[in-house]
Formats: sequence, C-alpha cells, structure tokens
Amino acid sequence: MRMKKPAVVLSAAALMTLAACGGGSGNSSTSSETKSLGAGGGAGAFKNATAKAPLAVPSDAAKGGTLTVLTNQVPATLDPTRAYFTDSTAIMSDLVTRSLTQYSYNEKTNDMQLIPDMATDLGRPSSDNKAWTFTLRQGLKYEDGTPVKAADVAYAVKRSFAIAELPDGPTYNTTFFLDGDKYKGPFKDKSNYPGVVVKGNDITIKMRRPFTDMDYYASFPQFTAIPQAKDDPQNYESHPLATGPYKFADYKPGSSLTLVKNTSWDPKTDPGRIQAVDGWNFKFGQDTAKLENVIINDNGSAQTTLTYDNVSASSFRQIASDKARLVTGTSPCTYMWFIDMTKVKDIRVRRAIGWAFPYEAYWKGLGEIEGVTRVPGTSILPPGTAGRVQYQALPGQDGKTTDPAKAKALLKQAGYKPGQFEIKFLFASDDAQAVEGKNQIVKGLEAAGFKATPLASTSETIRDQRADAKGPSTVRSSGWCSDWPTGGSWFPAQWAGSLVGLEGMPNPSNFKEADMDADQNRILDTLSPAQAAPAWGQFDRKLETKYYPAVNVGYSGTAMIHGSKVGGMANDNVRGMPTFARMYITK
Amino acid sequence: MGIQPTELSENDVDQTDELPVKSAVAGRSPTQIALARLRADKIAIACFVVVVLFVVIAVFAPLLTKLFGVELNAGDPVTQLDSTNFPLYGPPDFGFTWKAPLGIAPNTADDNLAEWFYGARTSLAVATIATVVSTAIGVVVGLLAGFSTGWLDRVINFFIDVFLSLPFILVALALAPIIVSRFSAQPARLEEYQFIALLAVLSLFGWMTLARLVRGEVLSLREREFVQAARVIGVPTRRILFKELLPNLLAPIIVSISLGLPAFVTAEAGLAYLGIGVVGIPSWGQTINKAVNFFDTYPLYLYAPVVGVVLLVMALNLLGDAVRDAFDPKTRR
Repeated sequence: MRMKKPAVVLSAAALMTLAACGGGSGNSSTSSETKSLGAGGGAGAFKNATAKAPLAVPSDAAKGGTLTVLTNQVPATLDPTRAYFTDSTAIMSDLVTRSLTQYSYNEKTNDMQLIPDMATDLGRPSSDNKAWTFTLRQGLKYEDGTPVKAADVAYAVKRSFAIAELPDGPTYNTTFFLDGDKYKGPFKDKSNYPGVVVKGNDITIKMRRPFTDMDYYASFPQFTAIPQAKDDPQNYESHPLATGPYKFADYKPGSSLTLVKNTSWDPKTDPGRIQAVDGWNFKFGQDTAKLENVIINDNGSAQTTLTYDNVSASSFRQIASDKARLVTGTSPCTYMWFIDMTKVKDIRVRRAIGWAFPYEAYWKGLGEIEGVTRVPGTSILPPGTAGRVQYQALPGQDGKTTDPAKAKALLKQAGYKPGQFEIKFLFASDDAQAVEGKNQIVKGLEAAGFKATPLASTSETIRDQRADAKGPSTVRSSGWCSDWPTGGSWFPAQWAGSLVGLEGMPNPSNFKEADMDADQNRILDTLSPAQAAPAWGQFDRKLETKYYPAVNVGYSGTAMIHGSKVGGMANDNVRGMPTFARMYITK
Repeated sequence: MGIQPTELSENDVDQTDELPVKSAVAGRSPTQIALARLRADKIAIACFVVVVLFVVIAVFAPLLTKLFGVELNAGDPVTQLDSTNFPLYGPPDFGFTWKAPLGIAPNTADDNLAEWFYGARTSLAVATIATVVSTAIGVVVGLLAGFSTGWLDRVINFFIDVFLSLPFILVALALAPIIVSRFSAQPARLEEYQFIALLAVLSLFGWMTLARLVRGEVLSLREREFVQAARVIGVPTRRILFKELLPNLLAPIIVSISLGLPAFVTAEAGLAYLGIGVVGIPSWGQTINKAVNFFDTYPLYLYAPVVGVVLLVMALNLLGDAVRDAFDPKTRR
C-alpha cells in the first residue's frame, strides 16, 4: 500500500513513494516518552476468525456529535477500487465501504487483528491454496436499503482488473488470480471472468498459483460490494455506495469530505465498527502549524477535532505534557537508501555508505523525532512482521551509528582516495525540510571520504526522476510498507531480479543476483505459510549481510494528536492511521 | 533686453563681487535644496542611520560572525539538540549564552545569528542589484520612448504594457522548477543561477512604472526651449538625452529608487518564503518559512528574521517618503 499522499511542498514523507500495511510492535529501543511504541506483540499477524458482532459501544461514549478531522494530506482518490494510500484505505474501509475481511483494533494487545467483515469468517482456502471461498453474511444492505448480493462482490473483484480505467490500486490480483495476466476488467472485456464464482452467498476466488495471504488481501476496499447497475468508473468515487456505518453526504475532491450516518447499516452484522457519532467532517490540505495549534489549544469545537498527520517537532513537546491526547505507535514502513548495484559494484563501498550515513543528524534535519516518528533499525522487514529476524548487517551497526573512520577504512580497502567516490542523490529543493536533510547527508558523506553530489529536483518531479533507471542517481531514497505482515508482500515486490529494467523502477537497487532469485522462488513455490514466514526473515538477513544493497534509514512511527473529547482513538498499526471504526465523542 | 557688458562701469563690476548679500543667496541646485531639507528631517536621519547600520552588517557579515564567535551552517544536530529536536543550550529552554546570542535553530542546530547576518546580506544585495538594474532599464527605455516619436514610441509602449500584464508571482513560480531541472546535476552552479534568476525576475518586473514616469516627463520637457535650442545648434540626440534631459529627471528617479528598494526586500523575502527564491544561501524569507511552525514554542527563532525585514523595510520606506517630500518643490513644511 502507498503512504498517505504528501502535500506538494510540506511533509518530509515526500521521500517515500510506496507504503503501508503490516503489523507493528516490537523494537523498544525508544525513549521513555513513547512507551506505546514498544507495546503490541503479535501485531497484525494476529487473526480472529470468530469475532462476534455487534461490537459494544464503549460506556463513556456520548450519543451524537460530529468528529472533525483536519489534515495536511489530500487523498488521491476515494474510489474503493483505486484506494491504495493509507489515508484513503483507512477512511473507506473503517467508515464507508465494508470488505470481505477487516482489521480491528484489539485493546488488550494494542494492535490490529484481522477479523471477518462482510464474510462470516476469514475465508476458506482449498488444500493447495489455489481457491478461496468466502460466505456473505445475511442482512447486509447498501445505504439505499437494497440488499448486498454476492454477485456485487464478484463484480468489485472483476472491477479491480480494470487497471486502464481505474489505475493505482494494488495489483496482487494480476499476479495471483486465475487469468490475472489476461483479464482486463468488466469494461473492456464483456466475457465472463472465470476467476470468481458465485454460488448463493458463497464467493469463490480461484488462483493461478498458490496464494496463502488472500485473507489479508480481502481486507482491501477492492473487496467491497459494488452493484454493477450503479457503477460508472469515472464518477463512482464522488459517491461510492456505503455498506459501512457512514455514507457520503458531500465530497469535494482535494478539500473536504462530509459523512453522515448510514441508517441501513446494521451493527448486528459488523464485528468491527460502531456508529456512535452522527457524522464526520474531513478537511484536507490544511496548514500544519494552524491545525496543530487548533488541536493543542483544545477550545470549543477543537475538543472533538483530530488529525492523522504526524505531529511536528515544534508541537511535539507541547503535547508531550498532555499524553492523553497524543497517540503514538508504529506504521510498519521502512525508509531505505537503495544503492544502485550497477553503479556501486564493490560491496566495501556499499558498506562504507552504511557507516557514513548520518542517521540521527538526517532525521533531526528532516524534523523527525527519533523513537517517535522514526525508529532506528537494520532489518528490512519492520517490527511486527511474521518471521522477522533481528540482525546487524554491518557488525556493530544498530541502525543509527555513524562512523566515518570505518567508512574511510572500507573506502581505502576498495582503493578509493578520500573525495574520489561520488555519491549522487536526488532531493526536493523546494521543500525546506528536505533541503536540511540533504545538507546533513552531504556533511556526513564528506566527513566519511565520499564526494557528495546532491541533485536538485522539485517535490512535483522527484518521484518520476527517482524512478528513471537512466537517471544519474547512485542511490535512491525511498521505502516500502507491507500490504500484509509477511515477507511475501516485501521481497517479491522490490527485490526480484525480474523487476530490473521495468517501467517505474520497482526494483530501486537494480538488484539481480541469481542465488537470491532462486531463494525467492523456492519460498514462493514450495513452502507452506508457516515455513515461508521464517524463511523470509532469513532471506532478509542474507540479502543485507551478503550484498548490502540498501541502507535502512529507519522505520516510520506515528504520533497523532486529538482534542480532549475524542474517544477511542488508537493507532491502527496496519496503516499508521487513527482507528476510525471505533471512535466516538466522550461524555 | 540685457545690458551690454561694455555699458557697465568698472566700478559696478568690482562692487558686485564684494557684496555680502550675494554669497548669502548663493545659487543652489534643486538637489542641494532637497539634501538640505533631508538633513533637517529628523525621521529621515534616523532611518538613514538604520539603513547604514544594515548596510554595514551586510558588508561585514563574515567579520561580524567571527566577532561573535559563531559560524554559518556549522550546527551538529546530534550533539546540540535534545530528543525532541530543541536546542540543548540557549533559548528557548535555557538562558542567554554568548555561544549563540540568538540561539540555534531547532532540527538543524545552525546558529541563528550567523544566519541573520548573512540573511541581511542576501536581502540588501538582491534589493540593491535589482533596483540598480531595473532603474537603468526604466530610465533608458523611458528616455527613448519619450524622445522618439512615432513607431519606436509605440513599440516601446507596447512592451511596457506586455510586461505590466504579466503576473509577476506566476512567472517566478514557473521559472523556479525550470531552472532547477536545467541545472539539477550541478549543485554549485544551481545556487548561482537561482540567484541570478531571482535578480532577473525582480529586475524584469520592476522597470515599467519608472519607464512610464520618465517617458511622461520627457514628453513635457522635449518641447521646452533649452532642448529645442540644443537641437537647433546640432547637439547629438545622445547628448541631448543624457546631458539636457536626464539631469532634469533626477528627482523622480531618486524617488523611484528609494521606494523600489524596500519593495525588493519584501519581494525577496516573500519569494524565499514560497520556496522559489534563493536556495542554499541564507535568507530571512527562508528562515521565516522554517520558523513559522515554532511561533509558539520558540518565538525568538521567528522574531529575529521578522524584525530584520520589518526594520529594514520600514526604514527604507520612511526614508523614501522623506526623499520624495524633499525633492517635491510643492511640499511646504
């Protein structure tokens, strides 16, 4: 999943293109102020197929009221098929469009667990994992009162193949589903797609290769119900038909979204959502300083206001004294400096970059707060991923140690004089924080005997330039977030040799090693889910220890603030967003 | 009819030289009169002192930073900032320290005073160069348009109209990414070219009003007797323009300069705030941009550059007003 889309000029998150999903827990090497970050445990990997509906409304919840959400971000699109950013997915899945499965916050473990949604359970795979069957609940209705049919879910699945008409959504369906490589969606292809079979209330999805993570994938808004008769691919996003507790009242793309109660929603069919407030007011593209000031001062309507933006360094210390209004946690994404393997062929130079990188100075320059919005780490898989192995790719490197002497020694071994090896990297020259981050990197690299050449770009064009395989960059600053908490949503997506040379540079390191590709195929084709998870962990260690194609620049953290009367707000550690589904206004 | 010199008695001539009255009513040029008026204006003098102070700061920025023992971009965020990215010494949490008289910046730990000194330098350099260039263009174009009749005047007027109709901010916004992508691979030259581009944008959009003003003045002057006399005796056009007409235009030009300077200071800060001005060179606008989020938690960080801009612009504006009053013969005090 992609990270919430950063606004054009602000937000250091602009460094990241792809993101989201996965568990969260673990690494408690953080400051004492952020205890909640270390809490958690099984993370999103935890499933509960028997979660009971309805979800109890907390006793301190007042009836009614409207929650206001202010954010600097602007969601790209709210079409359920196209939603792949953390913000659009959270808003749609938690409030408006129900899917086959859903993530729900577990108060006891302080993390998300996968529970059934429109389906009665988490799906039943065939013995070879090549067919998954979901059974729809009784009594599901759209906002207009018409019943939800299994055929509508099947249509939504078909719709997700229409990448030409509805781009930007997740594309696991094309990789795993039957005929996924051939079927082009219901708009172009009027023939019957054989991958989805409907029988009564049962929906069976057929695969072309074993797919063990279908239950996680079924939680995406792509697996909602869309009645074919009401669909118009161009305009559906202006009012997607609600199956959840709230429906669209007014949507102005780029500026605001107003949700009101969906009276057709029946709590007895939903184990993960409540309908405590009358409505939601989302205001997008707001000024960060202003919205933080409003929420921190907590006057009048600000008491029922919240944001899902990470709190800035300037406001963090103000709100840190009022911890009840600060929600922290993880959003398991890993920021990385991808070293281009075709340009930096010597492993010693790559390791030297790992020692030269000014981790802490860079984070501070970007305005990130260490241990809160950035967590040091070395494994590519973030904490909370099943089978994750904690290791040190460079002996003694804990993810935040900068040692110019070691870097110089490695460079000398590799035969480079100080200032001889040139590192070229892109930065957005119109983003003040990105410029500060760049300054720190230049200082760090030069202190370690590299020649640093920052390449100026703009917030608007940096993603395209970074994805240009012919561009001059030696390293590419980007990242990845899991779509579900196993290595299977990580390595095949970025580290497969077959991705080298593809449009958009999905493999930012140009990493193509025969032994690692063989390893990946072995895990994907022969191992069971239980064996695959630890195998991915070992793959992670081998990749970084043997080749060091990427510098881990920290995992992302979440620190969101809210008004004093906002209840039930916790961190959805699958997306790094508030747990909208169970939020209310306190008495 | 004048008196022939031969008709004057030798006595008379001698006497006039010695008359005490003569020296008291000594001829003074309009400029001298204006300067005398300025000297009598207390506000003008105060503003002049402030401006001179800023000029001194700008010129001697490197020396001053050394004098205070601070350095530009020398912060080490890891050792000088706490876990929430706030300074470990100086404001806002600790008292005044000579180590950093204006404190250090959060997130980067760069020294604020050094940044401020060099910011003054950027502001004044940009304002001065842009004023000089735009004034030169404005005067030359205005003289040409006013003195030439027919097609040249019309062509020049057309260009003035074109430039007046171009939206300044939009052109600046459009130019910034073009320059960034053109010089993307040469970071050192990029800073240079961004600076030059800023000057070019400011100059190109600053000359039109002056050109129109000068043209109007020239239109009224060129039919006056002294100009016609010069033409009759065959003085070349260039000489008429620069020796006969230009001195008479001194007042409007000086007024335009004195009002243009503060406008350029604000424009520079404004563009830097929008992220399309100079990048990589310290400037008040950029510091304000970074400091806005800290207005509550670290006010000094924001106030220093704001006070700089306000003081300089106010002093330049008041001085400009005083200069205009002094040069305007209709002003009575």
